[in-house]
Amino acid sequence: MLVYTLRRIAIMIPIIFLVSVVVFFLANMMPGDALSGKIDPLNSDPQYIADMREKLGLNDPIYVQYGHWISGFLQGDFGQSFVHKLPVSELVLSRLPNTILLAVIAMFITYIVAFLMGRYAGRRPNTTGDYGVQILNYLALAMPSFVAALLLIYFVSFQLGWLPASGSIGSGIEPGTWDYIVSKIKHAVLPSLCLGLLPIASYTQFLRNDMIESAQKDYVRTARAKGTPEKKIYNKHILRNSVIPIVTLLGFDLAGIIGGSVIIETIFTYPGVGQLFIDSISNRDYTVVMAITMLLTVMTLIGNLIADILYAAVDPRIRLD
Amino acid sequence: MKKKFWFLLTLLFTLSIVLAACADNSSGDGEKDAESTKGSDTEDADAGEPKKGGKVTFAFTSPFQGILERGLYEGEDDDLILNFMMDSLVDTNDALEPEPGMADYVIDEENNTVTFTIKDGIKWHDGEPLVAEDIAYAYEVIAHPDYPATRFSNVSMIEGAQEYHDGKADSISGIEIVDDKTVVLTLTDIAPNTMSNLWSYPMPKHYYEGIPVAELAESDQVRKNPIGTGPFKVTNIVPGEMVELEKNADYWQGEPYLDGVVYKVVDASLATGLLENGEVDLMAIPSSQYKEIKELDNIKLYEEASLGYSYIGFKLGHWDKENEVNVMDNPKFQDKKLRQAMAYALDRQGMLDSFSNGLGELIEAPMPPVSWAKADESELTTYSYDPEKAKELLDEAGYVDTNDDGWREDPEGNEFTVNFDAMSGSDISEPRAQYILQNWQDVGINAKLNGGLKEFNLFYDVVENDDPSVEVFMGAWGLASDPDPTGLWKKDDFWNFARWANEESDKLIEEGISDKAFDKEYRKQVYVDWQKLVNEELPNIFLYAPVDVYAANKRLQNVHTNSFTSQVDTHLWWVTDAAE
Repeated sequence: MLVYTLRRIAIMIPIIFLVSVVVFFLANMMPGDALSGKIDPLNSDPQYIADMREKLGLNDPIYVQYGHWISGFLQGDFGQSFVHKLPVSELVLSRLPNTILLAVIAMFITYIVAFLMGRYAGRRPNTTGDYGVQILNYLALAMPSFVAALLLIYFVSFQLGWLPASGSIGSGIEPGTWDYIVSKIKHAVLPSLCLGLLPIASYTQFLRNDMIESAQKDYVRTARAKGTPEKKIYNKHILRNSVIPIVTLLGFDLAGIIGGSVIIETIFTYPGVGQLFIDSISNRDYTVVMAITMLLTVMTLIGNLIADILYAAVDPRIRLD
Repeated sequence: MKKKFWFLLTLLFTLSIVLAACADNSSGDGEKDAESTKGSDTEDADAGEPKKGGKVTFAFTSPFQGILERGLYEGEDDDLILNFMMDSLVDTNDALEPEPGMADYVIDEENNTVTFTIKDGIKWHDGEPLVAEDIAYAYEVIAHPDYPATRFSNVSMIEGAQEYHDGKADSISGIEIVDDKTVVLTLTDIAPNTMSNLWSYPMPKHYYEGIPVAELAESDQVRKNPIGTGPFKVTNIVPGEMVELEKNADYWQGEPYLDGVVYKVVDASLATGLLENGEVDLMAIPSSQYKEIKELDNIKLYEEASLGYSYIGFKLGHWDKENEVNVMDNPKFQDKKLRQAMAYALDRQGMLDSFSNGLGELIEAPMPPVSWAKADESELTTYSYDPEKAKELLDEAGYVDTNDDGWREDPEGNEFTVNFDAMSGSDISEPRAQYILQNWQDVGINAKLNGGLKEFNLFYDVVENDDPSVEVFMGAWGLASDPDPTGLWKKDDFWNFARWANEESDKLIEEGISDKAFDKEYRKQVYVDWQKLVNEELPNIFLYAPVDVYAANKRLQNVHTNSFTSQVDTHLWWVTDAAE
């Protein structure tokens, strides 16, 4: 297992390198740069902009620029954000906790809701209750997350006034107090729910189908024949087996949720990495775009690795050598 | 790119959905129109006496960078925060004229000096008094060789600033600190618009002590605990999301009525809902939601023609990089009659009504409608929608259909086509461009899009570099408060995208900032003459000045808006529901 893990990590390096090349060149092929938004007749000095381009190295051939960037990257220096005038690492790190909070709450909601709904539907296949759950599932699968976000904002925030529609924290709240934590969580619920909608639907479906399948298996029949109560069969024998594959999906989720936050954070004005990403793309803040892309790449790769390892860990039939 | 596309799509969807939802909501009492005020008289007679206390939420629709120092900020987002926390030495009034702010000033045209005398009782938020050294320090920072932003042109007129900027001198020779309250600046040349151009924000020298100029923008003093002299002081910054400010009880113009202000970033698509449920008290609204917000009972709208304008430019030449001049060598649109005909063919009011809820004021020359220097409409030709006149002018100029294909040919009988460029970015970009093309096609001009709409960066890329395919392009400019057209219109101005070089225009522009122009009447006359010239020559078709709409909750009193801000005298803001 250790050898396998090490080998996988070794394979990641060329993948990360390739992704960085592609993203860097694509980013640079976008028309305009961080300075092209600076057309300003009040400061009518194209000379200044030309000087800045030179100073920032934007006039160098693209492979030279890439060389600069990758050598900095290898030394842990992600460069300076032109727009925010801050080191990129500081900027991204300041936003990361918000995104992680969203991701954690989203997974929390996903697992609880999917577990409850899946178990409910799996025990009663082809009944009205099961169909109800399935309709909800297909709705959630079919609805783009931004549509869901707007519907939720409209009903939950504007009509019912239960939860705030934007931001990550209320005003006038001291950090560290109980109110602060409550406010943080309140602000995170709606965006997390939107992020979790898709995984909730797929997990529910997964769990339901697996439970129905397991219910036909020999060991379940044996248990029934021995007169084990139905409740015990479901909770102890079937559910345990059916939950296993879902746990392994945790790794894939990690990347999926962070990717999904790009859209959701923008709609909810939630100041996380996703919002920063969109903002930086429209401002052509290349260093930030590159740093976040690399972050997402690494997360995806690690997520996949975790998924594979977990799978082997919970299912002894799978060997990783 | 794909992400960006998704983002736009998202916005599009969000708009339509929220709008539809909210429209349903307010249709019940469509009779009640929100009062809307034009101009600047916004007195509320029956609101009662100002009360102390309360908090107000001010919203903006894109995340802020958080560079909270006047000398370093770059975006409108930070500007709006700074409006609450920092005052200026020189204010600009509603008619765009400079007037004394935190300091009185005396201009000595003979000796080329400006004397600032700081008014009494002005303190920084940390309790230290504002002193003359703070003014001098601001100039030194901006002129410093390591200074990272673009404001050197605001101090370059001070004697010795250039030498200091080039690293040839240790200090700026033209700055003399007379005493704690007085500073005398010697300028290389004083012009009628000097007070509008000269940098007028002091920096807290004692507070920034010891920070190298190059690192100022990253420092905690600017990022985390910024201070100013304005009516509100920053207490909490949540990056990208919110800034909380509390009142500055020692404010030099009197203690503010409000306890505090919250500056909040919100998604534009949620504006209507947030205003309706009172989460936001004041914001500039997206014009696409104008109708819905107008219907809200708790909201009062303030409409102001802004300082910018939209135009359609003709490429008349190219930018000569070597000599840094515009060369007018593109023959295609040299005929004035052709340009005028294309202006008459456009239904500008129709564009406004169809795509911007009518929120714009037609202009005939590039001058803000509120400016004191604006020429009276009677003195300019109004290019009102008149396709017949357009056809007449085209016939006169020799653009007639000679081969019966339905399109006009040029005077030599060659096929005549017009490439039109416009920016993409909003849901109205495409239909608006089609509208314009249709207008031209109606008078027989074979106009088409130059390969489709272009994204902002790409658009300016090709327009700036005079790409040969660019012939006619639709852009927009924001203007400064001073009417001086230098920068956009002269022969040696890079931003003169039409590449229009006209001697008479250059002469008038220079005349407008000559010594003679210290006489305001004379200066105005010069600019009126210049507007007449531009209006006649028409290197651009001037479309309209967009109207900014600010929406304020009715509980908020004493809101005063003008063409460039909604944050005038914020210390006088008060709320009717304040618990006294």
